[in-house]
Amino acid sequence: MKETSKRFDDRAAMAIFAKGAIDAATLLSAPERIVPLVRQMCRDKARLTLEQRHLYSYSKTCRDSRDALYAAMHWIIEGQRPDGGIAAYYSLLSGYAESYPEVTGYIVPTLYDFENVIGDGWAKAAAERATAWLLTLQMPTGAFPAGLAGTSAGPSVFNTGQILFGLSRAYAETHRSEILNAARRAGDWLISSQDANGAWSGPASYQGRSHTYYSMVAWALADLSRHCEDDRYAIAAIRHLDWALTHFQPSGWIDGINLQGHPNYLHFIAYAIQGVLECGVLCGRSDAVEHAATTARVLLRKFETNKFLCGSYDDDFSSGQRFTCVTGNAQMSCVWLRLYLETDDVRYLNAALKLNEFIKRLMPRAGRGMAGGIPGSYPIWGRYQPLRYISWGAKFFADALMLEQRAKNSFESIETEALACAS
Amino acid sequence: MRIVILAPGVYSETSCAVAVQLAESGYVPSGALALSTVNWQTLLRKIGQTGLREVMRYGTAKLVLSRPAQAGKLFNPYLQSFLSSDVLFRNLQQVSRYYDFPLTSCRSQNDVTAIEQLKDWNPDLLIFTGGNLLREEVLAIPRLGVLNVHLGLLPEVRGMNSPEWSLLQNVPVGITIHFMDAGIDTGPIVGRYELPDRGGCLSLVDLRNRLIAFGIAKLVEAVAALDRQAARPIPQSRADRKEQFFVMHEWLQARAAERLASNLRATAQWVAQA
Repeated sequence: MKETSKRFDDRAAMAIFAKGAIDAATLLSAPERIVPLVRQMCRDKARLTLEQRHLYSYSKTCRDSRDALYAAMHWIIEGQRPDGGIAAYYSLLSGYAESYPEVTGYIVPTLYDFENVIGDGWAKAAAERATAWLLTLQMPTGAFPAGLAGTSAGPSVFNTGQILFGLSRAYAETHRSEILNAARRAGDWLISSQDANGAWSGPASYQGRSHTYYSMVAWALADLSRHCEDDRYAIAAIRHLDWALTHFQPSGWIDGINLQGHPNYLHFIAYAIQGVLECGVLCGRSDAVEHAATTARVLLRKFETNKFLCGSYDDDFSSGQRFTCVTGNAQMSCVWLRLYLETDDVRYLNAALKLNEFIKRLMPRAGRGMAGGIPGSYPIWGRYQPLRYISWGAKFFADALMLEQRAKNSFESIETEALACAS
Repeated sequence: MRIVILAPGVYSETSCAVAVQLAESGYVPSGALALSTVNWQTLLRKIGQTGLREVMRYGTAKLVLSRPAQAGKLFNPYLQSFLSSDVLFRNLQQVSRYYDFPLTSCRSQNDVTAIEQLKDWNPDLLIFTGGNLLREEVLAIPRLGVLNVHLGLLPEVRGMNSPEWSLLQNVPVGITIHFMDAGIDTGPIVGRYELPDRGGCLSLVDLRNRLIAFGIAKLVEAVAALDRQAARPIPQSRADRKEQFFVMHEWLQARAAERLASNLRATAQWVAQA
């Protein structure tokens, strides 16, 4: 077993090295990217050297949240390719990547949410283009493929689940029957691929193994059930939720993230929490919300005391790596804000406000492919998606900023009610 | 009783007021240990905490201007009565000279020289008025323990920004005098007191200043009670210790300030109606 794992690690390392070599060769063919690359690396190095993190860090507003939201959404729409899909990332070495079906799928709800903020049709048009492209990718089985556009990959449980978010939301916004049919077919395929114990571990699962962060898929099924009023999807979601909850440890650690050749990136830990929390809320499972809150509180304490969440954690949060996974930070902000809205515990809102300030500071204000973008890692050369501005990072940060506004409105409405009662 | 004061710096008004009040009550400190004034880490932290402009204003008033008119101004006006009985004390050096107790400075209250100095003074009681998180080695030095004034009611509001969190959590605003242990505000409670005139507070700064002054008065009473062996510290239960509050983001601080202002308006209305 150890031998297999070692071989897998070696292969993963070789693949990363080969990808790096190709990217470096691409950089030589586009020398105009050298200056932004060097500038960003110097900026992060200087920040790392000079920055003094302390208990008061990030407690002041450095950039208006609305301004940051517009920047992130502008970055996302700038990354929309002619086919309608959203580019996976902007690499400082090789520029924009191909469209990424998975991310395009779950950016659709973000685009519609942003449309509700601005209301000028700009984001709605982008969401409709993205949905039209996604419909062309669905396989006869109802599944959606893994990987980037044009890679002719096989079906993927996780990507199908993530795309399902977009289809469900697009149906809710447009009431078009072909979108609902596509969503139902995707949901039916997910149910048919589910193991008896509620997990997904077949060939369409990443590395052929079950993963607790597939709770995101359960959330997508619960969401579909709500939109099309079909309990079969909610039942499948609850089966997975029950399986995932058995992996939560009393310490808050979540077993079964199960990625061979990769550390437990914060991105995946946050996925597992988000999926369980949101699925728990939709299915009325307070035990799931409490489990998610336990893990969220461990990370909240780590952030508040160190003003830093590690890019990845060893089992049981025993140690962490020195870079941070910025996407994971944005996801944790979403988790804390949702927990605030569910529990009215202002400490979650407080931590999320500060975490959003931290992320805003990492958002470049200028540069093609960079302005408004969210880096994979901080520093930019960190292990998670190095030297890239990633579309799912921008998506989660935009979600966090819109949730921040919702939470602030909620806080103020409670305040107004309390004051009215007092007077 | 041998008392030693731990101060965050020689220019701390709170530390000066504590030392003066103790001395005036018959408990002249056996010594005071202050953190070095010029400490770039503290400076950066203060800039992050209050902003560059406030740090420059504070530094200018404390270090540069020495005219009596400037010296007569205190950052916390409620400490005026504590600090200006016969003379106005501007720093801990003046207090230590006036009441004749030794004052030394250190880079950290946990470093070896600081610990040696504290052991040398052999205190019954350490009084913490600010500085580092204390290690167990320091906490174990005094016979009775290390006493702290927390600007919130324990165990409800543990941690940072306690007055602001009290306002947001609808917990009465007050202070707690407690012994320090390895946790954050988790040690045995000597006494907890609600601020009697919260309705008159004009701002969060005003509230904090009033709480500090109120806390110093209660601290001196607590020291006297401990000396008479009339105080019975009550340990906090494990359940009480689990939650903690952290530094508050400025958006929430603004909401806490609004809540305080609405209290002030309500009090004014009530007074007008009465």
